[in-house]
Amino acid sequence: MNRGMNNVWALVAAITLIYGTLAIAMGTIPGIVLSNTPPTPGKLPYSEAAQRGRAIYVSEGCEYCHTQNVRPLKQDAVFGRASVAGDYAYDTPELLGDHRNGPDLTNIGNRQSSAVWQYIHLYDPRAVVHDSIMPQYPWLFEVKTKADPGDITVALPPGFAPHGGVVVATQGAQDLVRYLSELKQVPLGKAATP
Amino acid sequence: MSVEARLTRDASEPEDAAIFSAFTLTATFWLLLATAVGLLLSFKFPYPDLATSPFLSFGRLRAIHTNDTFYGWASIALVGTAIYVAARTSGVAIVGKRLAWLSLLCFNVAAVAGTIALDLGFNDGDQEYREWLLPIKLIFLLAVALAGTTIVRTVAARADREIYISNWYTIGAFICTLILSLVAVVPWYQIGLGQVAVQGFFMHNAVGMWFTLLALGVTYYALPKTLNRPIYSYALGVLGFWTNLIFYPIIGAHHFEFSPLPWWFQTLAIVFSVGMLVPVWSGSANFFLTMRGHWETIRRSYSLPFIVVGVAYYFLGSTQGTVEAFRSLQTIWHFTNYTIGHSHATMYGFITFIAWGVIYALLPRATGKQPNALFTGLHFWLATIGVTFYVLSLSVAGTLQGMTWAQGDPFIASVDAAAPYWAGRAVAGTLMFLGHIVFAYNVWLMTLGGSREGGNYETTVRKAVAP
Repeated sequence: MNRGMNNVWALVAAITLIYGTLAIAMGTIPGIVLSNTPPTPGKLPYSEAAQRGRAIYVSEGCEYCHTQNVRPLKQDAVFGRASVAGDYAYDTPELLGDHRNGPDLTNIGNRQSSAVWQYIHLYDPRAVVHDSIMPQYPWLFEVKTKADPGDITVALPPGFAPHGGVVVATQGAQDLVRYLSELKQVPLGKAATP
Repeated sequence: MSVEARLTRDASEPEDAAIFSAFTLTATFWLLLATAVGLLLSFKFPYPDLATSPFLSFGRLRAIHTNDTFYGWASIALVGTAIYVAARTSGVAIVGKRLAWLSLLCFNVAAVAGTIALDLGFNDGDQEYREWLLPIKLIFLLAVALAGTTIVRTVAARADREIYISNWYTIGAFICTLILSLVAVVPWYQIGLGQVAVQGFFMHNAVGMWFTLLALGVTYYALPKTLNRPIYSYALGVLGFWTNLIFYPIIGAHHFEFSPLPWWFQTLAIVFSVGMLVPVWSGSANFFLTMRGHWETIRRSYSLPFIVVGVAYYFLGSTQGTVEAFRSLQTIWHFTNYTIGHSHATMYGFITFIAWGVIYALLPRATGKQPNALFTGLHFWLATIGVTFYVLSLSVAGTLQGMTWAQGDPFIASVDAAAPYWAGRAVAGTLMFLGHIVFAYNVWLMTLGGSREGGNYETTVRKAVAP
């Protein structure tokens, strides 16, 4: 039954042929086709600052707890309309994510538009959401004795601010908050309701 | 090959034993590091402020935990056994030992560089299980190519006419992994949703073609060798091989169900996820039927209990995977910790347990040094109870998360619902990690430390003729 397969090179060739074809069919071709998806009408590329913020979102691994993929399911409606292919035209590397230890952020720019809230939450999530398990990101901030003009100070509630100091957002924190503010879903045309 | 020749062959070449030992030693280092990181991560759920630092933050350590477990521990351990099995089943010494040593060097250089880069925040896009930067990935792929060449050359120089089934699987693992990695590393067709399709393809094929084929392959040698009887059915092994090879590449899209990937593309993945029952059940049945009637031997063996649990988790974990792929269940389980339970049932319960079983079965034969019997039992029970408790905790946590969302409760309610089970997972993880420390001591005994004792009951089995 496996006479032919006793030649190691025949085995190597057979595996390469079969698996190679399937890898191209199921990996490369879908990649090529879907990489040409046009953006959803009205969807704009991210601003410079938001792109820098997105890079921080990637390097800090936010995607391991937050998704950016609203599913066409009842329980996802709270996060926005169902995501469509064109929404991801400017999203490389893709950040759809696999885990919702934290809420979906596809439409966070609309759902939480307060930058003040975002800065407090990034510095210490439990200052605004008591049961949150999100880690703190103090390294995106600086503690100064006195804020300089033009600094963005973080309005921390009592008990969460470091003693005798003012918490100021670094450029990194500002870029990240800018990125979050640009995570907004473009409303679909009248016809295509979700 | 005459029986006499095979018996003399049984005492393997000292350098072959050295290669096998070196692969196992470095793999064990990565197991300890990767799971120490994993343990810290599990404590960050109940204590989110624990170890607040850029270099110990959850976001960076999570990628280190997965990549070091995949490409540090599991890859190096299984490649070491696969090279040794190729030599033993071909009745020759390892051909091209220099390439094997170079491969080991590249595996470790990639793992060290990858871990440091990730800790500094250099992540190649949060694409799960391929977060290392491109040059580091290429070093890893060079290691795979070198080890694959070693195995193919060794099998090509075999004494018997037939290629033993183990080598089908291991050679298949190397070829498919090189192909799937090439598909996954080319950037120009990975823009936005295009990358989503490639990510689904890569994530699933990395586990399906690399780890699964390597683990099954070395089991097809270690199990009959320790039981001293041939595999139940050669044909079932071949069936499992080809159906695994054909179905796996098609089902990557089940990682992104209800996403904007084409609906038919997802349905195709679901249908072939059901098809996966063929290789999974034929492979598991083949091993269980080989064990039938030999439970006495298994009870008294160092290695066989690990292989039994490994095959059991292969059957349970992979069947769980098929069930998880259905859309009705995805509505509850997708994005939840249920998936993490599944990934540990398979990468730990199946792949890691098989690696341990094969190492305990073959390393003492290669080096002539035995592990400590009491510690082997301790390792087994710590790891078995640990992983079972881990999988159960997160399966419950994940189901509660999914149901809380489905009921329309506020999001934080799903965090509160899962919190007690996250504490349970930290306890389970502690048991698992303690087991790894015991295993590391045993590896030291079987390689550098320990004494080359005379015969013991395992060596009497050694005189048996390999199938």
